[in-house]
Amino acid sequence: MNGGLHVTDAGFFIRRIPLELAAAWAIARKDMRTYYLKPNIIMSGLLFPLFMFLAFAVGRNAPPGTLIPGLIAITILFSASSIEPVSIPIERRVKTFDRLLSAPITFHTLVFGESLSGFLYSLGIAMLPLGVGIVFYQTRILHAVTLGAGLVLSAFCFATLGTLFAAYPTENVGEVMSLLNLVRLPLIFVSGVFIPLETMPVAGQWVALCSPLTYANDMIRFSYDGTTHFGLLHDIVFLGLFILLFQFVANRLYKKFNE
Amino acid sequence: MFAVEAHDLVKEFGSLRALHKVSFSVREGETFGFLGPNGAGKTTTIRILTGITRATSGTATIFSYDIKDETLRARQSMGIVPETSNVYDDLTAWQNMIFTAELYHVGRAEREATTKELLEIFGLYGRRDEKVHGFSKGMKRRLTLAMGLVNSPRLLFLDEPTSGLDVQSNLIIRDVIANLVHGGVTVFLTTHNIEEANVMCDRVAIINRGEIAAIDSPEKLKKTIQSVQSVEVAFDRSAPESLEDLRTLASVNDARKEGDKIRLYTEDPAAVIEGVTSYAHRHSLKIISITTHGPSLEDVFIRLTGLTVNNERRSARD
Repeated sequence: MNGGLHVTDAGFFIRRIPLELAAAWAIARKDMRTYYLKPNIIMSGLLFPLFMFLAFAVGRNAPPGTLIPGLIAITILFSASSIEPVSIPIERRVKTFDRLLSAPITFHTLVFGESLSGFLYSLGIAMLPLGVGIVFYQTRILHAVTLGAGLVLSAFCFATLGTLFAAYPTENVGEVMSLLNLVRLPLIFVSGVFIPLETMPVAGQWVALCSPLTYANDMIRFSYDGTTHFGLLHDIVFLGLFILLFQFVANRLYKKFNE
Repeated sequence: MFAVEAHDLVKEFGSLRALHKVSFSVREGETFGFLGPNGAGKTTTIRILTGITRATSGTATIFSYDIKDETLRARQSMGIVPETSNVYDDLTAWQNMIFTAELYHVGRAEREATTKELLEIFGLYGRRDEKVHGFSKGMKRRLTLAMGLVNSPRLLFLDEPTSGLDVQSNLIIRDVIANLVHGGVTVFLTTHNIEEANVMCDRVAIINRGEIAAIDSPEKLKKTIQSVQSVEVAFDRSAPESLEDLRTLASVNDARKEGDKIRLYTEDPAAVIEGVTSYAHRHSLKIISITTHGPSLEDVFIRLTGLTVNNERRSARD
């Protein structure tokens, strides 16, 4: 599919960039129209993180408002990474995915476009806990710009993670979701969402460094209470690196499984 | 210029060799039929030519663009209509068309004008704003074909375009394909409907077990098996023993019952007509109709792909 990348004519590739971006946006819009209101996506992207959060938050002594940053972080994780693991296996089954594979677009465009729909979905969903915090608990946002940047970076990072897992060549949504949950569920325990990083054992802190949720949570928490474990620049750089890594691996996997 | 050139295409899935050194070329403006039984390698060949699958070895070009190294350029000039009507059920007909046009980088004004025109041609414009999940099989098929044309392709891959369709959809699709061909579009057609290939194609390739068994125009292919001429006869009453009796007539190679008629395969139709006339006279049968037929493309197909199976059955019986 990305045969265009082999073309030696650099001008050809540069001229294609706006075309590829437009195609990626078309893919994202198609997903929005088709999948955003599917019950299984609402379940896994919105209700699942909410109940997961309530299970851990209820009974704790912390004021509800202080739990909002953690709720936002895991909502973004689950909502951003839930669209593609549902949509792509379905599209494989009904053969519409072949339409994307046979179009004159690169695998980069396919991965970017698919990630874009998860990204936008999770940004919308994240407004719910954010709004609940403001309206019901009067939580104050100290650094709105940082919050915005944190939401954007983490949403795109987790959307790409979902696209990466959806590369697994199956027509069964459950298979992709099972694999994805093997990664997502442990992430919320090792990333400082429920257990502060400072109180985790040393081994746990090392594991936390490998989780993009750690940096997402750190940025979002900073936006609310002004404290950061790693520093903002560190968080931004690592989230950026995770995005690049996930995009690269997803691109390779789609290429490998579809040739 | 060739629209499609395939050289020694080999495709292996593990230890299974699906294609074995498949080579052919399709001239620009030609309607090329690709026939073969299920599992012969038709779809694998199309998937390689459209860049969805990579060949294990061999090369393929589309309008001189290598499908492996210049995939995007090659794809820009092609339209693909797969066997399955792969439309988005949750989108409207209009949205399906526009989305496909966007994937093929068709400009906004052009895609809206082309979409309107194609939906009108395929009789779907009145239902353009309805979600596709309410469409009939024929309507989805027509929409799939319209989506394959939205980028005004120079080469159209059609995989079983009219399979299992109602008469109206069939007529519309065949009419559109005829117009495309008239307009110079190259059509690469796979079909199980051999008569469809016979009527529509300039040349056909017959693929069997991953190898090309024959490539030529339908009429030339028929001439290669003149031994498969036939005499079709209908009597005023059916006698169960007639089929076996007629099979034993001189010059008859095979006999088959086809409805209320019996078809006798021969290299010498005149001798068979004489034999049938005598047989009818001896058994007091009245001949209602008797017709001679040259070999059909279906006969060629059976000869090249199916006789092995029959022989194996006969061998097993023997």
